[in-house]
Amino acid sequence: MNSFFLISIIFWIAAWIINIFIGQSALTKTKMVLPPILFGVSLLLVWEASISAFDVSPVILPAPSLVFVKLISSVPILWVDFVQTFVKGALSGYIFGCSAAFVVALLADRFKFLERGLLPIGTFMAALPIIGTAPILVRWFGFDWESKSAVVTVMVFFPMLINTIQGLQMSDKIHRDLMQTYNATSFQTLIKLRLAAAMPFIFNGLKICSTLALIGAIVAEFFGSPIKGIGFRISTEVGRFALDMVWAEITIAAITGSLFYGGIVLLEKVVTFWHPSQRGRSE
Amino acid sequence: MKNLFKFALGGVVMLVASMATASDDVTIQLKWVTQTQFAGYYVAQDKGFYKEEGLNVTIKPGGPDIGPMQVLAGGGADVAVDWMPSALAAREKGLSAVNIAQPFKSSGMMLTCRKDRGVNSVSDLKGKNLGVWYYGNEYPFLSWMNKLGLSVDGGADGVTVFKQGWDILPLTQGDATCVSTMAYNEYWQVLAEGLKPSELTVFKYETEGVATLEDGLYVLEENLKDAAFKDKMVRFVRASMKGWKYAEQNPAEAAEIVVDNDDSGAQTVEHNTTQMGEIIKLTAGSNGALDPADYQRTVDSLMTGGSDPVITKMPEGAWTHEITDLALK
Repeated sequence: MNSFFLISIIFWIAAWIINIFIGQSALTKTKMVLPPILFGVSLLLVWEASISAFDVSPVILPAPSLVFVKLISSVPILWVDFVQTFVKGALSGYIFGCSAAFVVALLADRFKFLERGLLPIGTFMAALPIIGTAPILVRWFGFDWESKSAVVTVMVFFPMLINTIQGLQMSDKIHRDLMQTYNATSFQTLIKLRLAAAMPFIFNGLKICSTLALIGAIVAEFFGSPIKGIGFRISTEVGRFALDMVWAEITIAAITGSLFYGGIVLLEKVVTFWHPSQRGRSE
Repeated sequence: MKNLFKFALGGVVMLVASMATASDDVTIQLKWVTQTQFAGYYVAQDKGFYKEEGLNVTIKPGGPDIGPMQVLAGGGADVAVDWMPSALAAREKGLSAVNIAQPFKSSGMMLTCRKDRGVNSVSDLKGKNLGVWYYGNEYPFLSWMNKLGLSVDGGADGVTVFKQGWDILPLTQGDATCVSTMAYNEYWQVLAEGLKPSELTVFKYETEGVATLEDGLYVLEENLKDAAFKDKMVRFVRASMKGWKYAEQNPAEAAEIVVDNDDSGAQTVEHNTTQMGEIIKLTAGSNGALDPADYQRTVDSLMTGGSDPVITKMPEGAWTHEITDLALK
């Protein structure tokens, strides 16, 4: 065992002890940020040290330093892949799918028979495995980003639909009674009361769908794509044994997914500031 | 105590007996699914050639996204069937694959295009939509595009490439102009879909001068240092080449044997008989030993990749005659 490996293990144990201390003390904002950072850094250190200590072939698992070098030297390729998969595929499908689900939920709320009819179909569609639907959608919509967008739309539709329908039922009876005393039309009640009350659920749906969208776009690319895109790059670089490029793409996908999710969380804080989950210290 | 002794004795006897009749285990990873592309190995198994050499061979079929080099790297097989560009690229990345035999002398890879989509000759390829297989199969195509001076990034002066799945439907049912096909497999699938040879323009990589060596046998370099492993491989190659020669002489029987061994049930005798006829054209002229001149041609083709060569430096120790020298004596 070389000394670097030993140092990384010691660092890991030290970070662990620090995190335990922090966990047992009073939490402040800065203290909350420290454990994940310490954990991440110690993980990277142990990974790097293990590669050299155990002589792991780069074909099996590359060291973080190799991945980093590959990342910064491949920015143009990574950017092209990012635009192809996230912007053109995932984002467009996400916006289209979530909007469609939202509109259908409003209709299902208005016309009860729609709700009874659509939900079983929606459940069925949600159960279709993406591995099965992706090749079919690639056949229908071609190899380019349109089919990836279609896959994402199918994937995000049902969760968003369910969450929105659930959210629309969340307003209290007493609040709806109040609107009735104001002689509000059902449309006014919807806009001024029920949609606002539904926001926590709607954002829940949006958050779930954000991760699904990125996964859907990447996996759909395995079934046919032009020669760009995160999913394409991952599958073909594995075939070329360029595992450092694979991990660079994974890093980009992880950062994108986290920022996307984080963006929605920020928006949620603004829109649902009144909800108990946003007010106290959330655990 | 007495019973325990009897059991122990019986156990030892059984162990010794089993060791006496034990044959050497060999696992071979094929490049694709069970078909007459690998007839030599199935025939050798079925006809008892492996058993004669004291080998117990497990044949693992390949399939979509199963990379033979990966399986070799992970220890899932002793020997793998793969194409030379893929093996050389893996070698450069740190996986020490070594060619120990080369049953296929010529290349069966082709680009099949539709005349009604505007391709009658090489000069018509500009600006068209081409399907290319990846996972190690893209290298001959990339070399060819480099040779023609066509960029693969699309645009009017280049070609638009898409990653083709493991079928030819983009040509027959989609709007691709060309797809990658093997002369012995996918080309016949195109014909089966209703297109006639007169409606197709076919570019053979051999004719275009960018052919690379295809099905060869590869093992890990470190294993070759073990004398017992080396001996196993000598016997394996000998029996496999015997299987290949038998298949060349008896194509119909070879097709039957292969279909019998197909676990998926997807293979037909008719398709495999046609395939066997085409495969014979590719194995003709090879007794199993790698021809260094063919190797050099493949390496030169891969290294003239322009801005994105498949391999960047001359490979060393990528092939050996030490197995075939002993196997084909």
